[in-house]
Amino acid sequence: MARDPLADPGPLIRRVYAYVAYRIGDGAEAEDVTSETFERALRYRESYDAGRGEPVAWLIGIARRCIEGTRLRPEPFGAAEEAADPIDVAGATIERLTLAQAVERLDERDRELIALRYGSDLSARQIGEVLELRTNAVEVALHRALARLRKLLEDEDTAQADARLTERPSTL
Amino acid sequence: MRGFFRRNQELDLERELRAGRPEPKDEFVQMLEGRVRETGRRSRGGFRVAFVGAITACMLFALASVGGLGQAASAVSDVAVTAKRIVNTQGPTIVQKSSAASQYGKPAKKKVKAKKKVKAKKKVKAKRQVRRAGRPRFTG
Repeated sequence: MARDPLADPGPLIRRVYAYVAYRIGDGAEAEDVTSETFERALRYRESYDAGRGEPVAWLIGIARRCIEGTRLRPEPFGAAEEAADPIDVAGATIERLTLAQAVERLDERDRELIALRYGSDLSARQIGEVLELRTNAVEVALHRALARLRKLLEDEDTAQADARLTERPSTL
Repeated sequence: MRGFFRRNQELDLERELRAGRPEPKDEFVQMLEGRVRETGRRSRGGFRVAFVGAITACMLFALASVGGLGQAASAVSDVAVTAKRIVNTQGPTIVQKSSAASQYGKPAKKKVKAKKKVKAKKKVKAKRQVRRAGRPRFTG
Protein backbone atom coordinates (compact mmCIF):
# COMPACT_ATOMS: atom_id res chain seq x y z
CA MET A 1 0.00 0.00 0.00
CA ALA A 2 1.34 3.48 -1.00
CA ARG A 3 2.31 5.87 1.81
CA ASP A 4 0.26 9.06 2.04
CA PRO A 5 2.71 11.91 1.29
CA LEU A 6 0.46 14.46 3.04
CA ALA A 7 -0.14 12.51 6.23
CA ASP A 8 1.55 15.17 8.36
CA PRO A 9 1.11 18.44 6.43
CA GLY A 10 2.19 20.99 9.09
CA PRO A 11 6.00 20.66 8.84
CA LEU A 12 5.76 20.17 5.08
CA ILE A 13 3.87 23.45 4.68
CA ARG A 14 6.59 25.28 6.65
CA ARG A 15 9.39 23.78 4.58
CA VAL A 16 7.71 24.44 1.26
CA TYR A 17 6.88 28.00 2.30
CA ALA A 18 10.48 28.64 3.37
CA TYR A 19 11.72 27.37 0.02
CA VAL A 20 9.24 29.50 -1.93
CA ALA A 21 9.97 32.58 0.18
CA TYR A 22 13.72 32.23 -0.42
CA ARG A 23 13.00 31.96 -4.14
CA ILE A 24 10.45 34.73 -4.69
CA GLY A 25 10.39 36.69 -1.44
CA ASP A 26 8.48 36.47 1.82
CA GLY A 27 4.79 37.45 1.85
CA ALA A 28 1.45 36.98 0.16
CA GLU A 29 2.90 35.75 -3.12
CA ALA A 30 4.83 33.04 -1.32
CA GLU A 31 1.61 32.02 0.45
CA ASP A 32 -0.22 31.84 -2.88
CA VAL A 33 2.46 29.65 -4.44
CA THR A 34 2.55 27.40 -1.34
CA SER A 35 -1.24 27.02 -1.48
CA GLU A 36 -1.11 26.19 -5.17
CA THR A 37 1.63 23.63 -4.51
CA PHE A 38 -0.54 21.82 -1.98
CA GLU A 39 -3.62 22.02 -4.20
CA ARG A 40 -1.66 20.29 -6.95
CA ALA A 41 -0.25 17.79 -4.47
CA LEU A 42 -3.76 16.91 -3.32
CA ARG A 43 -4.88 16.46 -6.91
CA TYR A 44 -1.96 14.21 -7.79
CA ARG A 45 -1.30 12.56 -4.42
CA GLU A 46 -1.94 9.12 -5.97
CA SER A 47 1.01 9.67 -8.31
CA TYR A 48 3.46 9.98 -5.40
CA ASP A 49 6.00 7.16 -5.41
CA ALA A 50 7.75 6.64 -2.06
CA GLY A 51 10.53 4.77 -3.83
CA ARG A 52 11.57 7.90 -5.69
CA GLY A 53 12.08 10.16 -2.70
CA GLU A 54 10.72 11.80 0.41
CA PRO A 55 7.38 13.66 0.33
CA VAL A 56 9.17 17.00 0.85
CA ALA A 57 11.30 16.48 -2.26
CA TRP A 58 8.17 15.61 -4.23
CA LEU A 59 6.45 18.78 -2.96
CA ILE A 60 9.47 20.94 -3.77
CA GLY A 61 9.39 19.60 -7.32
CA ILE A 62 5.75 20.74 -7.56
CA ALA A 63 6.60 24.12 -5.98
CA ARG A 64 9.37 24.67 -8.54
CA ARG A 65 6.90 24.11 -11.37
CA CYS A 66 4.41 26.44 -9.68
CA ILE A 67 7.04 29.19 -9.49
CA GLU A 68 7.98 28.66 -13.12
CA GLY A 69 4.31 28.65 -14.08
CA THR A 70 3.41 31.87 -12.34
CA ARG A 71 6.65 33.48 -13.56
CA LEU A 72 7.02 35.46 -10.37
CA ARG A 73 10.16 37.50 -10.21
CA PRO A 74 11.38 39.23 -7.09
CA GLU A 75 11.72 43.00 -7.24
CA PRO A 76 15.36 44.03 -7.46
CA PHE A 77 16.63 45.02 -4.07
CA GLY A 78 16.45 48.76 -3.40
CA ALA A 79 14.41 49.53 -6.53
CA ALA A 80 11.43 50.67 -4.49
CA GLU A 81 13.48 52.99 -2.30
CA GLU A 82 15.30 54.48 -5.29
CA ALA A 83 12.04 55.11 -7.09
CA ALA A 84 10.56 56.75 -4.02
CA ASP A 85 13.43 59.12 -3.40
CA PRO A 86 16.20 59.06 -6.03
CA ILE A 87 18.15 61.94 -4.49
CA ASP A 88 18.64 60.25 -1.15
CA VAL A 89 21.07 57.60 -2.48
CA ALA A 90 23.15 57.62 0.68
CA GLY A 91 20.04 57.02 2.75
CA ALA A 92 19.12 54.04 0.60
CA THR A 93 22.58 52.49 0.83
CA ILE A 94 22.67 52.68 4.59
CA GLU A 95 19.43 50.67 4.73
CA ARG A 96 20.25 47.47 6.47
CA LEU A 97 20.67 44.61 4.04
CA THR A 98 19.06 41.62 5.68
CA LEU A 99 20.10 38.11 4.91
CA ALA A 100 16.90 37.38 3.00
CA GLN A 101 17.42 40.47 0.89
CA ALA A 102 20.98 39.43 0.19
CA VAL A 103 19.68 36.08 -0.99
CA GLU A 104 17.31 37.89 -3.32
CA ARG A 105 20.29 39.64 -4.89
CA LEU A 106 21.92 36.35 -5.80
CA ASP A 107 21.39 34.99 -9.28
CA GLU A 108 18.57 32.50 -9.95
CA ARG A 109 20.75 29.41 -9.71
CA ASP A 110 22.38 30.36 -6.38
CA ARG A 111 19.05 31.40 -4.92
CA GLU A 112 17.57 28.07 -5.93
CA LEU A 113 20.37 26.18 -4.19
CA ILE A 114 20.14 28.28 -1.01
CA ALA A 115 16.34 27.86 -0.97
CA LEU A 116 16.59 24.10 -1.38
CA ARG A 117 19.32 23.67 1.22
CA TYR A 118 18.33 26.16 3.91
CA GLY A 119 14.68 26.82 3.08
CA SER A 120 13.27 23.36 2.53
CA ASP A 121 16.15 21.74 4.47
CA LEU A 122 16.95 19.14 1.80
CA SER A 123 20.20 17.21 1.88
CA ALA A 124 22.73 17.54 -0.94
CA ARG A 125 21.64 14.15 -2.25
CA GLN A 126 17.98 15.19 -2.30
CA ILE A 127 18.88 18.47 -4.02
CA GLY A 128 20.76 16.42 -6.59
CA GLU A 129 17.61 14.40 -7.24
CA VAL A 130 15.49 17.53 -7.65
CA LEU A 131 17.95 19.33 -9.92
CA GLU A 132 19.21 16.16 -11.61
CA LEU A 133 22.79 16.78 -10.51
CA ARG A 134 25.42 14.70 -8.76
CA THR A 135 25.71 15.12 -5.00
CA ASN A 136 29.29 16.29 -5.39
CA ALA A 137 28.30 18.92 -7.94
CA VAL A 138 25.56 20.16 -5.59
CA GLU A 139 28.03 20.51 -2.71
CA VAL A 140 30.47 22.50 -4.85
CA ALA A 141 27.72 24.74 -6.23
CA LEU A 142 26.39 25.37 -2.72
CA HIS A 143 29.84 26.28 -1.45
CA ARG A 144 30.20 28.83 -4.26
CA ALA A 145 26.72 30.24 -3.65
CA LEU A 146 27.56 30.74 0.02
CA ALA A 147 30.82 32.45 -0.91
CA ARG A 148 28.96 34.85 -3.20
CA LEU A 149 26.39 35.54 -0.50
CA ARG A 150 29.11 36.31 2.02
CA LYS A 151 30.76 38.65 -0.45
CA LEU A 152 27.49 40.52 -0.90
CA LEU A 153 27.08 40.90 2.85
CA GLU A 154 30.70 42.05 3.31
CA ASP A 155 30.35 44.61 0.51
CA GLU A 156 27.22 45.93 2.14
CA ASP A 157 28.96 46.17 5.52
CA THR A 158 31.80 48.12 3.90
CA ALA A 159 29.35 50.46 2.16
CA GLN A 160 27.58 51.09 5.46
CA ALA A 161 30.87 51.82 7.24
CA ASP A 162 31.89 54.26 4.48
CA ALA A 163 28.53 55.98 4.68
CA ARG A 164 28.91 56.39 8.43
CA LEU A 165 32.39 57.88 7.98
CA THR A 166 31.20 60.40 5.37
CA GLU A 167 28.23 61.37 7.54
CA ARG A 168 30.28 62.05 10.70
CA PRO A 169 31.93 65.42 9.66
CA SER A 170 28.59 66.88 8.68
CA THR A 171 27.07 66.11 12.08
CA LEU A 172 29.92 67.83 13.91
CA MET B 1 44.73 28.59 9.23
CA ARG B 2 42.92 30.87 6.80
CA GLY B 3 40.92 27.90 5.54
CA PHE B 4 39.86 27.12 9.09
CA PHE B 5 38.51 30.66 9.59
CA ARG B 6 36.79 30.55 6.25
CA ARG B 7 35.12 27.27 7.22
CA ASN B 8 34.03 28.82 10.52
CA GLN B 9 32.55 31.81 8.71
CA GLU B 10 30.72 29.44 6.38
CA LEU B 11 29.23 27.58 9.33
CA ASP B 12 28.09 30.88 10.83
CA LEU B 13 26.42 31.87 7.60
CA GLU B 14 24.75 28.48 7.32
CA ARG B 15 23.48 28.82 10.88
CA GLU B 16 22.16 32.29 10.11
CA LEU B 17 20.45 31.09 6.96
CA ARG B 18 18.73 28.31 8.87
CA ALA B 19 17.76 30.58 11.76
CA GLY B 20 16.55 33.34 9.46
CA ARG B 21 14.46 30.97 7.39
CA PRO B 22 11.22 32.69 6.31
CA GLU B 23 8.34 31.40 8.40
CA PRO B 24 4.72 31.39 7.28
CA LYS B 25 1.99 32.93 9.43
CA ASP B 26 0.42 30.50 11.88
CA GLU B 27 -3.10 31.13 10.60
CA PHE B 28 -1.95 30.40 7.05
CA VAL B 29 -0.40 27.10 8.16
CA GLN B 30 -3.53 26.14 10.11
CA MET B 31 -5.82 27.01 7.23
CA LEU B 32 -3.80 25.05 4.68
CA GLU B 33 -3.30 22.13 7.06
CA GLY B 34 -7.05 21.97 7.66
CA ARG B 35 -7.75 21.95 3.93
CA VAL B 36 -5.21 19.19 3.30
CA ARG B 37 -6.58 17.02 6.12
CA GLU B 38 -10.19 17.59 5.05
CA THR B 39 -9.48 16.65 1.42
CA GLY B 40 -7.51 13.63 2.59
CA ARG B 41 -10.45 12.37 4.65
CA ARG B 42 -12.86 12.80 1.73
CA SER B 43 -10.66 10.98 -0.74
CA ARG B 44 -10.01 8.15 1.67
CA GLY B 45 -13.65 6.96 1.25
CA GLY B 46 -13.01 6.20 -2.40
CA PHE B 47 -9.76 4.57 -1.46
CA ARG B 48 -11.60 2.28 0.98
CA VAL B 49 -14.03 1.13 -1.70
CA ALA B 50 -11.15 0.44 -4.07
CA PHE B 51 -9.32 -1.46 -1.33
CA VAL B 52 -12.34 -3.68 -0.58
CA GLY B 53 -12.76 -4.32 -4.32
CA ALA B 54 -9.13 -5.31 -4.65
CA ILE B 55 -9.34 -7.69 -1.68
CA THR B 56 -12.47 -9.32 -3.14
CA ALA B 57 -10.79 -9.76 -6.51
CA CYS B 58 -7.76 -11.33 -4.83
CA MET B 59 -9.93 -13.77 -2.88
CA LEU B 60 -11.87 -14.76 -6.01
CA PHE B 61 -8.65 -15.35 -7.89
CA ALA B 62 -7.23 -17.46 -5.05
CA LEU B 63 -10.38 -19.55 -4.77
CA ALA B 64 -10.65 -20.05 -8.54
CA SER B 65 -7.06 -21.17 -8.78
CA VAL B 66 -7.56 -24.05 -6.29
CA GLY B 67 -11.04 -25.06 -7.49
CA GLY B 68 -12.68 -23.67 -4.40
CA LEU B 69 -15.02 -21.59 -6.52
CA GLY B 70 -16.77 -24.71 -7.94
CA GLN B 71 -16.98 -26.23 -4.49
CA ALA B 72 -18.43 -23.04 -3.10
CA ALA B 73 -20.98 -22.93 -5.96
CA SER B 74 -22.09 -26.54 -5.34
CA ALA B 75 -22.33 -25.84 -1.60
CA VAL B 76 -24.53 -22.85 -2.33
CA SER B 77 -26.79 -24.88 -4.65
CA ASP B 78 -27.04 -27.66 -2.01
CA VAL B 79 -28.10 -25.08 0.52
CA ALA B 80 -30.66 -23.72 -1.92
CA VAL B 81 -32.14 -27.19 -2.56
CA THR B 82 -32.34 -27.94 1.16
CA ALA B 83 -33.94 -24.62 1.85
CA LYS B 84 -36.46 -25.18 -0.91
CA ARG B 85 -37.33 -28.59 0.52
CA ILE B 86 -37.85 -27.12 3.97
CA VAL B 87 -39.83 -24.14 2.81
CA ASN B 88 -42.01 -26.06 0.37
CA THR B 89 -45.22 -26.98 2.34
CA GLN B 90 -47.29 -28.40 -0.55
CA GLY B 91 -48.32 -32.08 -0.64
CA PRO B 92 -46.51 -34.80 -2.54
CA THR B 93 -45.93 -34.04 -6.16
CA ILE B 94 -47.48 -36.46 -8.59
CA VAL B 95 -45.18 -37.52 -11.32
CA GLN B 96 -46.99 -37.37 -14.63
CA LYS B 97 -44.49 -39.48 -16.44
CA SER B 98 -44.81 -43.22 -16.23
CA SER B 99 -43.33 -46.17 -18.02
CA ALA B 100 -46.60 -46.72 -19.91
CA ALA B 101 -46.70 -43.13 -21.00
CA SER B 102 -43.18 -43.36 -22.34
CA GLN B 103 -44.06 -46.60 -24.21
CA TYR B 104 -47.47 -45.57 -25.57
CA GLY B 105 -47.11 -41.90 -25.87
CA LYS B 106 -48.76 -39.77 -28.50
CA PRO B 107 -48.02 -40.82 -32.04
CA ALA B 108 -45.42 -38.80 -33.77
CA LYS B 109 -46.80 -36.13 -36.04
CA LYS B 110 -46.53 -36.62 -39.72
CA LYS B 111 -43.85 -34.61 -41.30
CA VAL B 112 -45.40 -31.73 -43.16
CA LYS B 113 -42.39 -31.13 -45.29
CA ALA B 114 -42.31 -34.71 -46.52
CA LYS B 115 -45.95 -34.37 -47.56
CA LYS B 116 -45.24 -31.24 -49.44
CA LYS B 117 -42.43 -32.93 -51.27
CA VAL B 118 -44.69 -35.77 -52.24
CA LYS B 119 -47.24 -33.27 -53.44
CA ALA B 120 -44.64 -31.47 -55.44
CA LYS B 121 -43.44 -34.74 -56.95
CA LYS B 122 -46.99 -35.63 -57.84
CA LYS B 123 -47.44 -32.27 -59.52
CA VAL B 124 -44.33 -32.81 -61.61
CA LYS B 125 -45.56 -36.27 -62.59
CA ALA B 126 -48.96 -34.90 -63.58
CA LYS B 127 -47.35 -32.19 -65.67
CA ARG B 128 -45.26 -34.76 -67.46
CA GLN B 129 -48.33 -36.83 -68.16
CA VAL B 130 -50.12 -33.78 -69.59
CA ARG B 131 -47.13 -33.01 -71.80
CA ARG B 132 -47.01 -36.62 -72.94
CA ALA B 133 -50.72 -36.60 -73.65
CA GLY B 134 -50.27 -33.63 -76.01
CA ARG B 135 -47.60 -35.45 -78.02
CA PRO B 136 -48.31 -38.38 -80.39
CA ARG B 137 -47.51 -41.77 -78.98
CA PHE B 138 -44.00 -43.02 -79.60
CA THR B 139 -44.11 -45.84 -81.95
CA GLY B 140 -40.47 -46.56 -82.32
